[in-house]
Amino acid sequence: MNIRRLTELALLSSVALIIFVIELRIPNPFPIPGVKLGLANIVTVYAVFRYRPSETAMIVTVRLLLGAMFSGNPSALLYSAAGAVCCLLGMLALRRILPEKQIWLCSVLGAMLHNIGQISAAVIIMRSFGVIAYLPLLLVTGSLAGLFTGLCAQILLKRIK
Amino acid sequence: MTNRKIMLAVAAIFLVSVCLSVFILMPSEKQTVEIVQNGTVLYTFDLKKTKDREIRIPSADGGYNLIVIENGEICISEADCPDQTCVKMGVLKSDYLPIVCLPHRLTVRFAEDES
Repeated sequence: MNIRRLTELALLSSVALIIFVIELRIPNPFPIPGVKLGLANIVTVYAVFRYRPSETAMIVTVRLLLGAMFSGNPSALLYSAAGAVCCLLGMLALRRILPEKQIWLCSVLGAMLHNIGQISAAVIIMRSFGVIAYLPLLLVTGSLAGLFTGLCAQILLKRIK
Repeated sequence: MTNRKIMLAVAAIFLVSVCLSVFILMPSEKQTVEIVQNGTVLYTFDLKKTKDREIRIPSADGGYNLIVIENGEICISEADCPDQTCVKMGVLKSDYLPIVCLPHRLTVRFAEDES
């Protein structure tokens, strides 16, 4: 990897982290564990379409680890990591079939996969299937949030060539 | 063609989740609630018959949750955990969504009414 590439990835990671930290300050209108706008994923979607899969994975890993430290809630890391892995794998697969005009669709599916990953982690950690009741709520809010971040990323990709 | 299929699948999942969410958020008709910590039931109440009261529940790690019963409704009013999700969840309403405090492994949920 050359230095230019490395700097770009570092820059994107820090942008994602800044968005993540600012989002922590926005009060959450839905008092349901796991519901979030996830604005930092604008960077993830952007990276999925502009960078190699391994490079995107690096950005997401750095964001997750530093985000868990900055938010002071390291117990949430397991859930978000499980979600991020599912989301990333799904989006990287979808990138091959979807044209640039349908990036939002990729983001919505990514968000849904993220929620499914989160809930699977919760089922395993809490050893109870009761938490599955949260899945429909997470899927509805998650896909709306994914639609928003996806549209943001789509506009960004069009402007930044 | 595959794109249209993906879009249809997304729309279908979304609609099903909306219906399920409405179902899950329906208020419960049960009156009995139980407070569970680490899998053991600590208290059972009949909400309609219990007078207003506060219960302080200590957790294994030295923290606590303050549970309030008022006007036939139950909620966690205070906790010393970092995320405060249990406090923000407000009053217990649904059968399927118990109030959960993950850090203190505490659950407040509806139980079968005794006849």
